[in-house]
Amino acid sequence: MRMRVITAAVALWAACEAPNRGAPPGRQAGVRVVDVIPLSLSGETWQDAEPFLALYDSDPKLLAASAFTPNPGGSASATAPIFVSNDGGDSWTLRNTLPSEVMTADITHAVGGNPPVLYAGILKVPGVPLNELKTGDFLSAAKMTLQASRADIDQPFVRTTAIASADRVYVGLNDFDAPDGRTATVDVSLDGGATYTSRRIETRNTLGQNGPSIRPAVAQDHTVYVAYFGWRSQAGSDVTSDVVVVRDDSGATGVTPFRDLLDPSDHLAGRLVATHVTIPWSNAPTLGQERIGSTLSIAVNPLHSDTVYMAWADRVGTGDIYTVHLRRSGDRGATWSGDRRTVTNATNASLAVAANGTVGLLYQQVTGSGDASRWVTRLERSRDGFATHEDVVLADVPATTPAFQFLPYIGDYNGLLARGNVFLGIFSANNAPDSANFPQGVVYQRRVDFPTHRLLDGSGAAVAVSIDPFFFSVPVLP
Amino acid sequence: MHTRSAILLAVALALPGVPAVAQMSRAALVKRSDIIFIGTVTQVGAVAAPEVPASPRTTVVRIDNVLEKPAAVALAPGDSVTVETVQPGSLKPGTQATFYTTGWIFGRGVAVREVGHEPGRSPVVVADQQEAVARARLEVNDADLKAHIQRAAMVVAGRVEQVRPAELAAAPTRPKRITEHDPQWQEAIIHVQDGIKGAQAGDQVVVRFPGSRDVAWVGAPRFTVGQEGTFLLHKDSTTGSPLTMIAGKAVPAYTALHDVDVLSKQDATRVRALIRKP
Repeated sequence: MRMRVITAAVALWAACEAPNRGAPPGRQAGVRVVDVIPLSLSGETWQDAEPFLALYDSDPKLLAASAFTPNPGGSASATAPIFVSNDGGDSWTLRNTLPSEVMTADITHAVGGNPPVLYAGILKVPGVPLNELKTGDFLSAAKMTLQASRADIDQPFVRTTAIASADRVYVGLNDFDAPDGRTATVDVSLDGGATYTSRRIETRNTLGQNGPSIRPAVAQDHTVYVAYFGWRSQAGSDVTSDVVVVRDDSGATGVTPFRDLLDPSDHLAGRLVATHVTIPWSNAPTLGQERIGSTLSIAVNPLHSDTVYMAWADRVGTGDIYTVHLRRSGDRGATWSGDRRTVTNATNASLAVAANGTVGLLYQQVTGSGDASRWVTRLERSRDGFATHEDVVLADVPATTPAFQFLPYIGDYNGLLARGNVFLGIFSANNAPDSANFPQGVVYQRRVDFPTHRLLDGSGAAVAVSIDPFFFSVPVLP
Repeated sequence: MHTRSAILLAVALALPGVPAVAQMSRAALVKRSDIIFIGTVTQVGAVAAPEVPASPRTTVVRIDNVLEKPAAVALAPGDSVTVETVQPGSLKPGTQATFYTTGWIFGRGVAVREVGHEPGRSPVVVADQQEAVARARLEVNDADLKAHIQRAAMVVAGRVEQVRPAELAAAPTRPKRITEHDPQWQEAIIHVQDGIKGAQAGDQVVVRFPGSRDVAWVGAPRFTVGQEGTFLLHKDSTTGSPLTMIAGKAVPAYTALHDVDVLSKQDATRVRALIRKP
């Protein structure tokens, strides 16, 4: 009881100390939520959707983040920005270092080993070709260096692992120029991004292509898992798909990588975790102003690569719009559980596994209906493979405001990572400074007035509500 | 006023110690800048905010007047900004100048990179500089628009009569792809009321535009039935299908994908004037 009083007193003191902090009662210890938009961009009203996060293991204070944020310089800008933090995520700055006009059309990134290098995969504006980029110093204002580029690519998704001699980089992507409609591909670099080799991972026939989300996950023993949607047929906007996992036990260094996990039904590479699921492909506002069709995530226990989790979303057909499923394997993907967790009307599932085995599931769910509908962003944590879990609501915001400017509204994905005893992640949401919207509290860098729930520009004038990226950290379960 | 600005610039260029970059025309400085302000140097080799790395080229400048800035950027008189100068040692504490800059780092404060500076009279006459920069911006915008007009295959003032889905000739080696970045091409049929370049009044032209609301196409103009405007049209080299049909006849298809490709109907006068301008 005394500890609770002390905790409440500390929270109250913190709320009084920081004018931009909203701290309602009932927040859980150790949870941080920070609006990433800096003070000097307080007039910003853009739809900063589809956020992503990268961590430097060698320096916990360094983080990189991205979103569909434009270069503040305007429509003639030749570069696009990333956000960086050098204080562990408490504050963020924006730097225009990406070689893309104004902003990107897709971006993910990850950090390699020692020295820490930031690798990024972007769809460059205009023309949306893939650019595979790197920089040895993301705090520098120099443009990231182009390593490789080609057209007809969708959703590059970057993961890395550090080895003694050079970083290995894995970029999951949908390559429309792949032969035979087997478009699920991983661009593999074994030399720190100097060269990439495109590895095709689909072994079965498709409807002419795979789904856009191809997601790698890497364990410390260099086991690499990749999840993808095996699109088999289409009827109208509904795609019938398998949910597939491939595995490589040696970091994809061999001649025929990603062939270490066979399905018992046909003895082909790629374990069928779920078959004949219905993917509602909707490139229009469908779920709380968001489009749907590509939610997929995979995470491996970094220290015990036998344990791997997958989450995806499909339409179950019982009145749902889009349902997230979570499954687990404890034998390197050979066999899989049934659904350990299902969440209706949800998207943007992201998984991470901490070193102590705690698994985190981040997702965004629409609750309520009509004008009362809300986007609720949750992190669920489990120490027992989701037999049970604990729940943290990070944001609970209106789903109908602001009106969408473009799609995605909040993102086709968000980001969740684990480091030490903490989950670190990022999501996008309505940025109205209302403490009731952020049950764990929130810190704004940009200028706000909590009592009147108003965003303010540099001169103190009111600024319209928009979508902002929010960084968060949540302790793993003990 | 134009003469006064020219004299001011001439005086500035005649001053000793002005860095070479400042010898660009004011229009050239404005063209490369998105944050322009009058400020006074307060510290050299220092920074105004901790997130900016200090170097011999970083200088702290107190803002006296903001002449141009993006709406999102919080910048007001009295603020201190970090300026990364083109040349170390080119500015001394107490110097007041007009700074032409681009955004560099946005955090608790703003850091900018100098394109050039204009050390006019001291104190700088604010109204003069505001007018001079505004005039230079107009010159830059006109020059950009003129270049855009020259690149356009056709310039027309007209009215959108119809919008329809585009039926693109399928390339045999490129099957239709399912991707969230699919432009979902639409076609607007425009009735030409004033053929300014490459068309005549009464013509019909077909303009392709993305119907998709995907982020990759967020800046591209859209067309609606009844819309009137002045349109800068480019032969379609984007969709891979350069022809379309009107009344059973194959005709070239055009695109208007840049925000300056679609202007107001009233802008036709300005466009004609720019075409005539040498």
